[in-house]
Amino acid sequence: MTNLYYEYPESLSVMKRLKPFAYFEPATLAEASKILIDQGSRAYLLAGGTDLLVRMKRGEIDLSALVNLKGIDGMNRIELDAETGLQIGALTTISSLEQSSLVRSAYPVLAEAAGILGSPPIRNLATLGGNIGRASPASDLAPALMVLMTRLLIDGPEGKKEFPLESIFSRPGKTTLNPGEVITSFFVPKMVVHSGAAYVRLGRRGGMDCALVGVAVLLNLSAKSGDVAEARIALASVAPVPIRARKAEAELLSGPLTEERIQKAATAAALESMPISDMRASASYRKEMVKVSTRRAIEQARTLAGEGNNK
Amino acid sequence: MKFLIDLTVNDEAYQLEVEPQTTLLELLRNQLHLTGTKEGCGLGDCGACIVLVEGKPVNSCLMLAVDAKGREVVTIEALETNGQLHPLQQSFLEKGAVQCGFCTPAMILSAKSLLDKSPRAGEMEIKEALSGVLCRCGSYKKIIAAVLAAGGEKGERNEE
Repeated sequence: MTNLYYEYPESLSVMKRLKPFAYFEPATLAEASKILIDQGSRAYLLAGGTDLLVRMKRGEIDLSALVNLKGIDGMNRIELDAETGLQIGALTTISSLEQSSLVRSAYPVLAEAAGILGSPPIRNLATLGGNIGRASPASDLAPALMVLMTRLLIDGPEGKKEFPLESIFSRPGKTTLNPGEVITSFFVPKMVVHSGAAYVRLGRRGGMDCALVGVAVLLNLSAKSGDVAEARIALASVAPVPIRARKAEAELLSGPLTEERIQKAATAAALESMPISDMRASASYRKEMVKVSTRRAIEQARTLAGEGNNK
Repeated sequence: MKFLIDLTVNDEAYQLEVEPQTTLLELLRNQLHLTGTKEGCGLGDCGACIVLVEGKPVNSCLMLAVDAKGREVVTIEALETNGQLHPLQQSFLEKGAVQCGFCTPAMILSAKSLLDKSPRAGEMEIKEALSGVLCRCGSYKKIIAAVLAAGGEKGERNEE
């Protein structure tokens, strides 16, 4: 008898069922850290699960134990201190970030970047800690957080640690965290007056897309002269990890924001990027688009910083 | 090893034993036999498995059943009450917004979550709210029209 059913090629097959694993629900960070160390390198932390479960089903990771962080109290809070800045718990969902009135008013660029990620149902599950801990080169949140000079708060066997967000990325999918260390929260310093930040993300479609190029720009313009007092540019999807484009930043510094300088910065950002060719786009196209997206992001940030000046 | 969880599904309280590797989708379909929730890609791309957890749409194929502990889950089966279709279901019928029907439960639940918050949602908001569900028949125009009509009607009723 002929088989009338289409058989899915083995190479494309996806296990829709998850294989069994040891499961833990620690109530404290100390407990979570201990379990991680005891279980070894095949133990993974579970936050939102929207990326982890997909990779488990695809057989991309060999997981023996899952440590669910959601039993630990107080890890999903967003707290604003008007003097210092914003504290965001690692288990804060992307949709809470997108919808938080605190985030929307004080750091609109962060709410904007959150609103682009995945789809609404994915954003309701996915967390900020997971997005950064995944160390994906294509993170939509990383560039915005990086130009805001976000610091990471870590808890682990050696106690608490704090460091700049960008130093957590070591290579695609890998962080610099030591065994047993957990991201607990993010600290976003208060934005200085007369500054504006924008995130420009290029994708192939409007929703449910992975960024081809993501560029965040923060500009601080002098109230008197309108000169650039501070410029920060971060790129995603165009290097093994999200990166700061420091040469491009230098092109903008200490002077008026002329068309020529914007163009120079955009070109410098493209040169600093190290994109790969894949099924979504070629490396040369991505480089060209870094230039275009950087220019657009600078222009948007300038408008936003200018609006601040008028207040 | 099995874990005992308490949860509410469609206003009924359950206490269930689940394996840690069981997804919420598998719990709904296999243990509770609520097969209105569909499994498409199983990877969070198609959205056919969307259910409401605490009123918000989530991909139940990417949520572990153990994470539904203490939560309130609503599936498409809860929308019809006392033999009366939900206004969204009625509107989908009237506008012919269903072809094969596989995405319909997820479309209706995503729309319900939006209209419960903003009954007068416009076309752009509706498109955004439904952007997590793929319709391979390509019925988007009629689906959006159906949600617009259901929202409008509900809004008008609220104003009376």
